[in-house]
Amino acid sequence: MMMNKNLVMNKDYLVPLLRKLAKTHRLVAPVRNEYGDTLFTIITDLDRTEIDLDHQPQASLKPYFFPQTDTLCRYVIDCDPATGAMDYSFHVQLPQNRPTVYVGVRSCDMFAVMYTDMVFLHEHERDVYYKQRRDNAIFITIACNTPFDNCFCNATRSGPFLESGFDLQLTDLGDRWFVETGRARGAGLTEDWACFFRPADEADKRAQFQAELEARGRFKQLVHVDLASKLLAEDKVPESIFRDLSSRCQDCGGCAFICPTCTCFNITDQPRDEAGGERVRSWDACTFSGFTAMAGGHNSVDVETGRIRRRFLHKLQYDVDRHGRPSCVGCGRCVGMCFGGVDMIRFISMISEAGENGAEAGE
Amino acid sequence: MMHKNDLRRFLQADDGYVPPLVADRNVYLPRRARVRQVVRENSLVRTLELVFEDQIHSSDFTYLPGQFMMLSLPHCGEAPISFSSSPTRPGGFSLSIRKAGKLTTAAQELRPGDMVGVRGPYGRPFPMADLRGRNLVFVAGGIGMAPLRSAILYCLDKGDEYGHITVLYGSKTPGEFCFMPDLTAWRQDERLTCLLTVDEGDDDWQGRVGLVTGLLDEVEMDGGRDRALVCGPGVMIRFVLERLAALGFQEDNMITTLERHMKCGVGICGHCHFENKMVCTDGPVFTRSELPDLRKL
Ligand SMILES: Cc1cc2nc3c(=O)[nH]c(=O)nc-3n(C[C@H](O)[C@H](O)[C@H](O)COP(=O)(O)OP(=O)(O)OC[C@H]3O[C@@H](n4cnc5c(N)ncnc54)[C@H](O)[C@@H]3O)c2cc1C
Ligand code: SF4
Ligand code: FES
Repeated sequence: MMMNKNLVMNKDYLVPLLRKLAKTHRLVAPVRNEYGDTLFTIITDLDRTEIDLDHQPQASLKPYFFPQTDTLCRYVIDCDPATGAMDYSFHVQLPQNRPTVYVGVRSCDMFAVMYTDMVFLHEHERDVYYKQRRDNAIFITIACNTPFDNCFCNATRSGPFLESGFDLQLTDLGDRWFVETGRARGAGLTEDWACFFRPADEADKRAQFQAELEARGRFKQLVHVDLASKLLAEDKVPESIFRDLSSRCQDCGGCAFICPTCTCFNITDQPRDEAGGERVRSWDACTFSGFTAMAGGHNSVDVETGRIRRRFLHKLQYDVDRHGRPSCVGCGRCVGMCFGGVDMIRFISMISEAGENGAEAGE
Repeated sequence: MMHKNDLRRFLQADDGYVPPLVADRNVYLPRRARVRQVVRENSLVRTLELVFEDQIHSSDFTYLPGQFMMLSLPHCGEAPISFSSSPTRPGGFSLSIRKAGKLTTAAQELRPGDMVGVRGPYGRPFPMADLRGRNLVFVAGGIGMAPLRSAILYCLDKGDEYGHITVLYGSKTPGEFCFMPDLTAWRQDERLTCLLTVDEGDDDWQGRVGLVTGLLDEVEMDGGRDRALVCGPGVMIRFVLERLAALGFQEDNMITTLERHMKCGVGICGHCHFENKMVCTDGPVFTRSELPDLRKL
């Protein structure tokens, strides 16, 4: 394994570095728009765009690799005039593979990309649509010195600082960036543009260490993620919690759509005319009442009492069994999203409280 | 705390290396297959015999009983359908489709020569190798006979490799049995015991009337050694498994299939979840011991 390098970059050098990278790469970074929303945005003109590294982007990078709707193929229907037989064919146009630098990605979102890589590229059949978009990506992440209000990545062990996964990780040291190289592309980049960097000295390393320590002490949320996983594994979660939260779910799918690690999708045909149409994949949510409905009305999930079960169990129990850690990355987005209060923090506090009170499992 | 190791297990992509794709392999892209023959099983079920258009693909296509294909029809999307044919009879495969909704209704209109899309085979098959040397009891309800027919034909074609075969098949009415020519042949074959029952008889029906669970008491079985394969509607599976357990069948010796809403067939889309499993890749075939709570079928 390659040694990670520690470097330092002057605060003013970031934009010049990006300007260089933009010659060969598309640039995506958080930008605050006129409505005051910070969103990952494709930057076409660096000089007239202000990158916002102070706010958490409202959406994650998910749509860049797994867009909300994606055409899988076109289909064409024809009729053989001689025999009257129906012909039916499929035509694929894969998404463009565009080398992209993602800048200002926070630890949770970087971690989420590693999780979706596993889902789409490693654990199952490889998904070429995801791969096309994901190939040739460079991630310049930013460690969180000050976690945001709903953040709990300390509890999911996916931040606020990362040890790997990024190409470059930047830590804000006031007047300068502390720069760590992670994946090979990041190290290559610091060699190609060595003029922007200098080796970190002992004072820089101490300052970085200090920033990381202080960041860990700044979380406002105390969320018992590991305890939640344990209680779920031991089947010590009262049914009433699932019932209560399920009854408050409004079927909007917002939590799944905003979540950087929710990857469920639907595939549907969208007819254009008699002669064909498109097969489209689109985001789906396991909380939707029709998610598991089958022909004839049978549904393996009781929507009234259990629709939110899958989302929490998948992230906190099944993925822990499978991969040794939860697949919630603690970004807190679902907390801000759900107006019914059916979010990860709420769920974990409810079950840990019930666990403390020694509530009986089951009914 | 093994933080770093955890991380490494989780991050298989840690070095940024993505293995190259096998040329033009796209799991979501159906292959074209032509309808060679259509068999009308009854008023609700048609069996389609399909052959791949692409000869090369056709020659290295293999599957096992219990697996399924995702079938595409124009404007209808896709539906998972089990093989009802046996891979021991190459040169094409059959899907038997019961009219249930949009796609399965459109499938009833297909005629020989028409083109469809298929991708697969998907799913964990029946454990045909482990079943060798065993007496086998097949219990089917309705369209559940389709995947079991695949397994029964497979065993028959393998000659002595399998023990005695018992087929118990229940249907709502006498008109709703599928695969009549097979049933007739099986009833005359001494390697098999084949019993049929209906929920409701008619004037011509002289056979049994009653639930398929009743047939279990009519045949001789050894729950410790024999293997049972059960396929049908959820409630039927539940009652049959309970009855088999009462007759001494061990949990590992009872095998069934689960039905779920499916979209991708390859374990990614999430639709077919069942507890910590995905039915499309971890199933659809399961042993009783893998299904703790039968009320959730
Ligand atoms: C592993 C497996 C094997 C199957 N084998 C057979 C078979 O051999 N013969 C047969 O007749 N039927 C089989 N089925 C059931 C068949 O897939 C459904 O009847 C079919 O999907 C219904 O689609 P539809 O468009 O006609 O119904 P609609 O209700 O119009 O479908 C609406 C949507 O829901 C989804 N959907 C609805 N019901 C099901 C369902 N039961 N399973 C999965 N997705 C569903 C479809 O993807 C579709 O997009 C099998 C199901 C599974 C899971
Ligand atoms: S479950 Fe909520 S907090 Fe966890 S990763 Fe998804 S959106 Fe973020
Ligand atoms: S059908 Fe998509 S995960 Fe099983």
